Amino acid sequence: MRLRCIALALVLAVPATGCVQTRQYADLQFTPPQGDYRLLVMRPDVTVNSVTTGGMNQPRADWTEQARTNLIAALAAQQAERGGKVKILAHRNELPGVSEEEVADLERLLAAVGNSIALHKYLGAYLPSKNRRGLDYTLGEDAVALGRKSGYDYALFMYAEDSIVSGGRVALQVLGMAGCIVGFCAPNIGGGGQFAYASLVDLKTGDVVWFNVVQAGSQIAGIKMGDLRTPQGSAQLVERLLGRMKPGYAIRHPNVRR
Amino acid sequence: MCWRCTGFDRRALLVGGGVAAASLTTGAALARIRPADMQPLVGPGFRPTDTDEIGLWQQMQRVEEEVSGSNLLIKDPALIRYLQDIIGTVGGPATKDMRIYLAHIPDFNAVMFPSGFAVVFSGLLLRMRNEAQLAGVIAHESGHFLRRHMIRSWRDTKRKGDIFAIGSMALGVAGGAADVYMGDIQQLAELGTILSLFRYSREMEAEADAMGARLLAQNGYPAIEMANTWEQLIGEEDASARHRRKRRDRGGSLFATHPAPGARMADLKVSAAEVTVPGRTYDSRRASYLQAIAPIRTMLLDDQVKLNDPGASQYLIETLARDGWNGFLRYYEAEVWRLRNRQGDDVRAAQGYAVAVQYPDAPPDAWRWHGLSLIKAGRQAEGRAALSRYLALQPNAPDAPFIRQMIS
Repeated sequence: MRLRCIALALVLAVPATGCVQTRQYADLQFTPPQGDYRLLVMRPDVTVNSVTTGGMNQPRADWTEQARTNLIAALAAQQAERGGKVKILAHRNELPGVSEEEVADLERLLAAVGNSIALHKYLGAYLPSKNRRGLDYTLGEDAVALGRKSGYDYALFMYAEDSIVSGGRVALQVLGMAGCIVGFCAPNIGGGGQFAYASLVDLKTGDVVWFNVVQAGSQIAGIKMGDLRTPQGSAQLVERLLGRMKPGYAIRHPNVRR
Repeated sequence: MCWRCTGFDRRALLVGGGVAAASLTTGAALARIRPADMQPLVGPGFRPTDTDEIGLWQQMQRVEEEVSGSNLLIKDPALIRYLQDIIGTVGGPATKDMRIYLAHIPDFNAVMFPSGFAVVFSGLLLRMRNEAQLAGVIAHESGHFLRRHMIRSWRDTKRKGDIFAIGSMALGVAGGAADVYMGDIQQLAELGTILSLFRYSREMEAEADAMGARLLAQNGYPAIEMANTWEQLIGEEDASARHRRKRRDRGGSLFATHPAPGARMADLKVSAAEVTVPGRTYDSRRASYLQAIAPIRTMLLDDQVKLNDPGASQYLIETLARDGWNGFLRYYEAEVWRLRNRQGDDVRAAQGYAVAVQYPDAPPDAWRWHGLSLIKAGRQAEGRAALSRYLALQPNAPDAPFIRQMIS
């Protein structure tokens, strides 16, 4: 009985120890920006939490600031490699000729459209009308207007969240694993991990042309799959999120009729 | 300890134990908190210094940015200045630090956020009969900030969550070692933890009420108006429920985040008596309140009647009319029936419009509906006269061309 319990624990634990998932969708005609493009990165929304013993997320201002600085540096470095000219907004009022309200409205619109994408592409509420049509969402005229006023080709919206398990919770995890010996097994109480998503908007058409979600973490409290607080950890997340941008289906399979 | 061997039915024990534990330690009834005990816990220019509170404030910065840029806000500068002045009066030591926003939401509510900004719903302004009542609600919200309720309840939740997590893990391991099933105790502890969180929340609300009463009286408002606000709300909910042939939710559940309205009203009455200094004059400042909300009062009444909650709307209009009927109130009373539109409501509404136009301050729309009702009743000549009056009062109304064609 007790042996079975430990075996079960391992089965549950092993695949969960190293889990990094990404899943991207793109417009059928999407080609990743290359060469001489101008990219506007909207103010990245970053949060770093500390996970309490009881499993609550406690926001940490200092870690959040560290992560934001690192992520912005990593983003700039990664995009420079691809040849694009990048501007990363830290505030809503940094675009000449574009008001704070316009930027705020676009951010809210993206949040609403992003929710729809999450619901209908990731959470299982698939829409029959969107079947086999890639990423078929748009921010419409407002995004086009932003492109016209600012002169940028693309806008990138980004959200990143990292939860760092506290010492207390790690201790609890150790106790849970030790319990397996006496037959009470709690090998994966979880709690930590990263979650991030990015969406790329073509400012010529207003369409959301590419969307990616990264989840990195483990069910064992204390095992990290990255750490946004360090420059390396941030670079790793940027690479996972934006590094392998795949072209749309029609570009990858030019001879297939759908 | 072994539950199984004693022969008890575990489920009955769990339910009985849960209820007993709940009523002993987390009962719905709460002793009244005395206003005299409510000292502000923050001084002027408060800034957080603890890690958890700094994190909370940083998140709130973003929330405030969203709230302050929301298109739900009513931005009338004079009205906002008026609200800011009130929070600047009843805000205790933090008067200079708090911000206030007015959201266009036709509901009775106000919210204080951890970093010291408050959002008042427009529905609140419709329901308050004088400045003291409004100041009472704002003082209650200030109380949450002054007593640092958000960070205290966060810490309470965190502490109890930690204890529960450690406790259930230790219990599980101990049970595993002794080969005893501990799931029932674990569930009981979970219920107890959850109930104690709700109780803590109710305690904070009671504190804010006491703090509010104290701030109100200190600044020359009659503190009893806070109890009156609750009396009005209970009356409104009763009327609304009666209309739907339901009963009002009386609150007081173990899972309630706020104390029951009846209990709050009773406690506030006692607290008001405590903070009132004999011989001092208190002013509810009704006139300045009415003057301040005058520009949006039509909108507030309009929002309310369109909620299609005739019981509540009728009660609210009658409550406001306790200070005297006028053309506006009569017009909106008639609107309640027209919009409900059950058998006979048109006649009731027509009578209402007929009464409304007797007042010199009847809104132009009262003449419009009075005219249309008369025509519907076959009284063409009188109806046309009323509609002409409507056009005279509002020559540029959106439907003016149609009305002109009707009466030509």
